[in-house]
Amino acid sequence: MSALPPPEAASVLYREAHYLDAQRWDDWLALYREDAEFWMPAWKDAHTLTASPDREVSLIYYSARAGLEDRVWRVRSGLSVASLTLPRTAHAVSGILLADGAPGGMLELRSTWTCHVYDVERATQHVFFGRYEHRLRRESGGWLIAAKKIVLLNDRIPTMIDFYCV
Amino acid sequence: MQSAADIERLIDHHPREGVFRVHRDAFRSEAVFELEMRHVFEGSWIYVGHASQLPRPHDFLCSWIGRRPVVLMRAADGSLGCFINSCRHKGALVCHGSRGNAKAHVCRYHGWAYDSSGRNVAIKARAQGAYPEAFDAESHDLVRVPRFGEYRGFLFASLAADVAPLEAFLGDARVFIDLVVDQSAQGIELLPGDVSYTYRANWKLQLENTLDAYHLTSVHPSYFRLLDRRAAMGERSDVAPAVWQGHAGRELETEMGSFGFEQGHALVWTKAPVERHPLFACLAELEQRVGALRADWMLRTRQFCLFPNLQLGSSAALQMRVIRPLAVDLTEMTTYCVAPVGESPEARRQRLRQYEDFYNPSGLATPDDTATYEDCQEGFRSGEIEWQQGTLRGTGAMRAGADEHARELGIAPATSMHGAFDTADETVYHALYLAWQRLLARGAPR
Repeated sequence: MSALPPPEAASVLYREAHYLDAQRWDDWLALYREDAEFWMPAWKDAHTLTASPDREVSLIYYSARAGLEDRVWRVRSGLSVASLTLPRTAHAVSGILLADGAPGGMLELRSTWTCHVYDVERATQHVFFGRYEHRLRRESGGWLIAAKKIVLLNDRIPTMIDFYCV
Repeated sequence: MQSAADIERLIDHHPREGVFRVHRDAFRSEAVFELEMRHVFEGSWIYVGHASQLPRPHDFLCSWIGRRPVVLMRAADGSLGCFINSCRHKGALVCHGSRGNAKAHVCRYHGWAYDSSGRNVAIKARAQGAYPEAFDAESHDLVRVPRFGEYRGFLFASLAADVAPLEAFLGDARVFIDLVVDQSAQGIELLPGDVSYTYRANWKLQLENTLDAYHLTSVHPSYFRLLDRRAAMGERSDVAPAVWQGHAGRELETEMGSFGFEQGHALVWTKAPVERHPLFACLAELEQRVGALRADWMLRTRQFCLFPNLQLGSSAALQMRVIRPLAVDLTEMTTYCVAPVGESPEARRQRLRQYEDFYNPSGLATPDDTATYEDCQEGFRSGEIEWQQGTLRGTGAMRAGADEHARELGIAPATSMHGAFDTADETVYHALYLAWQRLLARGAPR
């Protein structure tokens, strides 16, 4: 794992961060393939993540983009008291490298992320941080996300966490 | 320090006039919180861990009793012990991390060592230490927590020695532990991946909310409407249908009931559609093994509080929550997905997806609860308002002692009620708060 990714692949990650912070949910969803897997595992001990979404607990697991569409629907519905006044967020993605072993037509990217979260109602703030593993697939229109794994490093969660702050 | 009269004042209870009120100081007073720590968490039985978290000899599990760090250890002979996690020499923690396996625990400071039965096995350079006889006469072993016991894998301890036996403390609430443990002939397991979160509000808001059927339609409409949305999209292969997701769309419960126990334990049950329940596929086996009555109770939703810090929620999936108060307005929750051992891979997957959707702090329901607790705590700043008005729904349906549902289970609660689901009973809190008040009053000066 030493090569830098092609700029148009890295830009998918930067656009994702940008769309989440700008609450451009439809643009964000459009970065994902319909069959994209979205996975934020939980931790088993100090340095071991849960490894199987079918046998162990995940913080979030969806086997298709429809799960993310559900979440966007919930935020827009006005029916979730935890989502009525969304926090302001600032994502930063850095250290993007190409991982070896991606099948043809795909790229495996590794990166580090932080998300600063500012709760507007209570004037409090915290930071979530971790690592991303993106699998991108080349489509006619460019690269799309085929799978994303989010490793959340600080997992004692203050009150709540959702797709827009990881 | 609060006097006995101050403690008395926290609950306004006049059954003949239909009055039961809880004072807001119960949730916002530092002095009350100090008494709770001393007399509820550090003065009575509390849940400290599950035996399956330390299955092998020399396994250990770090835990808390109120503000005290403790460690549970399984000795070479397989027996379990509970100790204060503090070196006898200078006080440093002896065991670190959440759990592990070690035959010996060596203090990081001066190297005093303890075996897995808590015995001191080494004092570094003891011979050269020119110690007086008084030192040799003292025990240097880890300090054993005075009372420690197990009920079917659930481990409890008390820092106070003068408490009732564990069996008496649990009482008939054991039936509701049995309804969890007996879901498989091989018992239950905690699935890997416990999840921890904090919220900025009093610990009793979590205690109450678990038993609160009244909030479901106002706090969780986004979750239930989402189930409607999924059902309308036809069979989606990417998500598991939830228990409430019937064949003709969402089906809410029609019937509910509650039990309050003298020791403070409490339970709310509802009858929900069972076709989507992870246990439904093995219902015939269950009925044969535990009988039709208990199988039926296993498939009801059951929200169970084992006072003060253990909750077993059985609805979307089976969840165990452990409550750890950090301050009067700050609480830590640790949550576990519980499953019957030997469950089919399909049922396990369905259980996990339902669990994550509903119960995780990263899910679609729990964040709405915790955000609401924080709203309440902010609202409690309105000091002029003394009394909550949230403990009287269901009064007309409540009775002292057992109703027919309690009798069929063979239990003797302090209060029972049953009725239409919309009754959304609040009398379930009465026995709980009276037990809470008794514990506080034990320590108050007269």
